Amino acid sequence: MDDSDLELRRRTYAFFVEHGRAPAAAELGESDEVLAGWRRLHEEHAVVLSPATDELRMLNPFSAVPTAYRVRTGGRWWYGNCAWDAFGICAALHADGRVETSCPDCGEPLVVEVRDERVDDESLLFHVLVPAARWWDDIVFT
Amino acid sequence: MNLFRSEEHIVRWLGGREPGATISAAKLAELAYAWWDDRIAPDWRPHTREQNQAILERLGLTGEFWQLP
Repeated sequence: MDDSDLELRRRTYAFFVEHGRAPAAAELGESDEVLAGWRRLHEEHAVVLSPATDELRMLNPFSAVPTAYRVRTGGRWWYGNCAWDAFGICAALHADGRVETSCPDCGEPLVVEVRDERVDDESLLFHVLVPAARWWDDIVFT
Repeated sequence: MNLFRSEEHIVRWLGGREPGATISAAKLAELAYAWWDDRIAPDWRPHTREQNQAILERLGLTGEFWQLP
């Protein structure tokens, strides 16, 4: 990853955090150049693009589209790509927050407060279905 | 990578599929802070595989399931 791609990634994340949404390519510069940079970052797993549209799908831990993992922190709602990413949003923003989701089995709402890097309900369990070696085979499924 | 009410709910959700790995929400929070803490830092650089594997190992997430490619 060269310095210009790192800088594009930095500006992409900064836009997302400032505006609470993913930028369109044209909002960061000349569209073709930005898209080419995003594609290189996608190959490096530094961002995730939607295969059909080349729009940003994930700026991990943030999701650019609504998911089952909603996070309230920094005065704004965010979406995480999974439970790990949901807590990761509080970590990345260095802020306390609240994660809201539902149990995938029974649908019961689950709400977890994060304070000083700790959760208020330690009885809940996190399950990872896919082994680490295959996480990036299909990151959306993972 | 989901959050569940209890082990019973995980087993029912799996519906006979091979289970993966389960950790507590407390451990998950530790993992999230170790993994994502630097993600929007202006001087962020990509973690190497070795850095990420070290995070997992430091938290006791060892064994074949947690081996990164």
